[in-house]
Amino acid sequence: MTQAEIKLCSLLLQEHFGEIVEKIGVHLIRTGSQPIRVIVHDTRTSLDQVKKALCVLIQHNLVIYQVHRRGMVEYEAQCSRVLRMLRYPRYIYTAKTLYNDTGELIVEELLLNGKMTMSALVKKVADRLTETMEDGKTMDYAEVSCTFVRLADTHFVQRCPLVHATENSDPGPPPPAPTLVINEKDMFLVPKLSLIGKGKRRRSSEDDATGEPKAKRPKHTTDNKEPIPDDGIYWQANLDRFHQHFRDQAIVSAVANRMDQTSSEIVRTMLRMSEVTTPSSAPFTQPLSSNEIFRSLPVGYNISKQVLDQYLTLLADDPLEFVGKSGDSGGGMYIINLHKALGSLATASLESVVQERFGSRCARIFRLVLQKKHLEQKQVEDFAMIPAKEAKDMLYKMLSENFISLQEIPKTPDHAPSRTFYLYTVNILSAARMLLHRCYKSIANLIERRQFETKENKRLLEKSQRVEAIIASMQATGAEAAQLQEIEEMITAPERQQLETLKHNVNKLDASEIQVDETIFLLESYIESTMKRQ
Amino acid sequence: MAEVKVKLQLPDADPVEIENRIIELCHQFPHGITDQVIQNEMPHIEAQQRAVAINRLLSMGQLDLLRSNTGLLYRIKDSQNAGKMKGSDNQEKLVYQIIEDAGNKGIWSRDIRYKSNLPLTEINKILKNLESKKLIKAVKSVAASKKKVYMLYNLQPDRSVTGGAWYSDQDFESEFVEVLNQQCFKFLQTKAETARESKQNPMIQRNSSFASSHEVWKYICELGISKVELSMEDIETILNTLIYDGKVEMTIIAAKEGTVGSVDGHMKLYRAVNPIIPPTGLVRAPCGLCPVFDDCHEGGEISPSNCIYMTEWLEF
Repeated sequence: MTQAEIKLCSLLLQEHFGEIVEKIGVHLIRTGSQPIRVIVHDTRTSLDQVKKALCVLIQHNLVIYQVHRRGMVEYEAQCSRVLRMLRYPRYIYTAKTLYNDTGELIVEELLLNGKMTMSALVKKVADRLTETMEDGKTMDYAEVSCTFVRLADTHFVQRCPLVHATENSDPGPPPPAPTLVINEKDMFLVPKLSLIGKGKRRRSSEDDATGEPKAKRPKHTTDNKEPIPDDGIYWQANLDRFHQHFRDQAIVSAVANRMDQTSSEIVRTMLRMSEVTTPSSAPFTQPLSSNEIFRSLPVGYNISKQVLDQYLTLLADDPLEFVGKSGDSGGGMYIINLHKALGSLATASLESVVQERFGSRCARIFRLVLQKKHLEQKQVEDFAMIPAKEAKDMLYKMLSENFISLQEIPKTPDHAPSRTFYLYTVNILSAARMLLHRCYKSIANLIERRQFETKENKRLLEKSQRVEAIIASMQATGAEAAQLQEIEEMITAPERQQLETLKHNVNKLDASEIQVDETIFLLESYIESTMKRQ
Repeated sequence: MAEVKVKLQLPDADPVEIENRIIELCHQFPHGITDQVIQNEMPHIEAQQRAVAINRLLSMGQLDLLRSNTGLLYRIKDSQNAGKMKGSDNQEKLVYQIIEDAGNKGIWSRDIRYKSNLPLTEINKILKNLESKKLIKAVKSVAASKKKVYMLYNLQPDRSVTGGAWYSDQDFESEFVEVLNQQCFKFLQTKAETARESKQNPMIQRNSSFASSHEVWKYICELGISKVELSMEDIETILNTLIYDGKVEMTIIAAKEGTVGSVDGHMKLYRAVNPIIPPTGLVRAPCGLCPVFDDCHEGGEISPSNCIYMTEWLEF
């Protein structure tokens, strides 16, 4: 764990869970897996607080526990999972685009609560949806369950591992920590629940015009004391599946940029067909025949078979090499080269960073060395058609920032500099790692700036909150417009302006964090895919 | 009967006669004659007389002595050249010959020294002499600007020395290259646009968006923005820089020998393309472009809280 990652994790934990959890969490990330006594001792917090903090972290899947030999239980924090918290808005947005508001709220609740049972989740989401609907309308549980089942079918939510039910009751003492197992088949199996009911509105203090709802209200607010049917079956969001979706999106948009809309639709269809058949870390998708693709095209697209074949041939011949042809049966078998696609996307990110930071001539040199693998100083000048002095300057600048590295090839055994070849080369993996580290630090900077801005204007924010509370309470007890006006004027115009600026700044910083996270996603996927291949 | 002693008094036993005979032979064989040929022609002359005659001709500067793999060759010297070297001595002639042999690539003074085994001071004196007589000239090499190569006065320097079409007077013409770059890109872009708008089936669309290097060359020639004659290879180097800019992609197809623009049975086709991703997220934040990124940490002189770049960026 690099310093930048630890810093970022500490900021995220603090923002979401508070000081104590942050202290425990950062300590665990720094020191690896530890038993509880050591944690208590090292962080100098009370056992009670440590227990509660660990509970929170385990609930949110940020800490896992293991029983070691000699019966000790050790807790280990997962730094990468903490960094995923940055991506929560993106997950929620994806669920919204795919499954509308219901899906959005389901995923949001799951992410906020870590793990939940299906019934509790459905109830909560229905309540929330009912609040946003017009008076008199309520959200049916069945609709929410239906969306939930669809989410489980497409693998966006998965079951958490369960306590292993032992057939024979052990006469000995129970183990210090339960081992959790989950059967592969059961991971997305939705229990048969019959959830009947409707969403409840929060009891509002308004008087209703008709007396009827008032009478109905007492009946609805009685909690049902029946046991929850799916007790013990907890669900969590399947982040890998979301990542797979993001990856597919990136590939489709790359194809759309390079070719045209129809080609990108074809690629999207192919990816959709291999969603559940190909594991997410495979370098290639399963071969798909062109007949299958033709059948699975979206209904709106009526292109003839020959045109589809032509598009497929064009995709396979394109220098991008995202799509490859693996055989001729069934009208041509086509695969998508996932590893290559991720590599191209990561390389494009690198190139774009070089272009924005150093200029387009530097970007030309960078792409040149990338394509030709190893080049001498003189050759770089000749190929790039840039005057020698400028080319030298740019190469050294990129060398100092570690985008380009030098490979020495000595002519004589004594490695004399005058008799050595120096070749410039780009090592994509190490450059990607360097850039990833920079991204982490950038996000940490953005979060700090956001907190700073909020802290600067804390007094103003508190004042505005107080004024709003006063106005709300006065409106409830019925006040005249003049009085309301007076109270509103407590916030002067410049202060209002300041509040506006603050809101604008905080939003901009937030949006920027999400944008940097997109780069992080591409680079991390590429690095992961490359490491798996080795 | 008394023995008649016939003493053959050959008419060309005269040294001058021998020399003239040799010169005639040389004229007959302008590429040079070996000693063997002279011997065959005049078998009655002794070797010594022959040697004397040849030496005289050499010293008078009418014959050239060359070494070939069969032996020594004698060649008639150009009368013009013979006149030139009248005032020079052997060393100068040697140096001149070395420079002449270097052709239009020129030769460096150190190489002349190695080849002639003359000391540096002598070489410099001779080179100055020859330059003042306008027999040789010094050309600055574009590769190493301090190095001067010498070649004969009336020869055109080779491309590798002057740099070819992109250099004028040892200066790299960046604006010229830039202008050509943009023109080629615009041509390819409009071609791709028209192909996209034609809305035919995708194969034809793609094939018509390609332009061969020959087409681009013709277009540039017709534009007439270049004062210097540009060859197809020059245009290909410009198109390669566009590839390194990420704006153009290239494929090679096999073409029949006779088709226009094909080189060795294949043709290079170029097409304008869009980048595959928009500028990445990191560069949209000020931290991605910050020059003092490594010095920035909370609580320091440069920190996120007082970052001036962020302040400016937030004001947009």
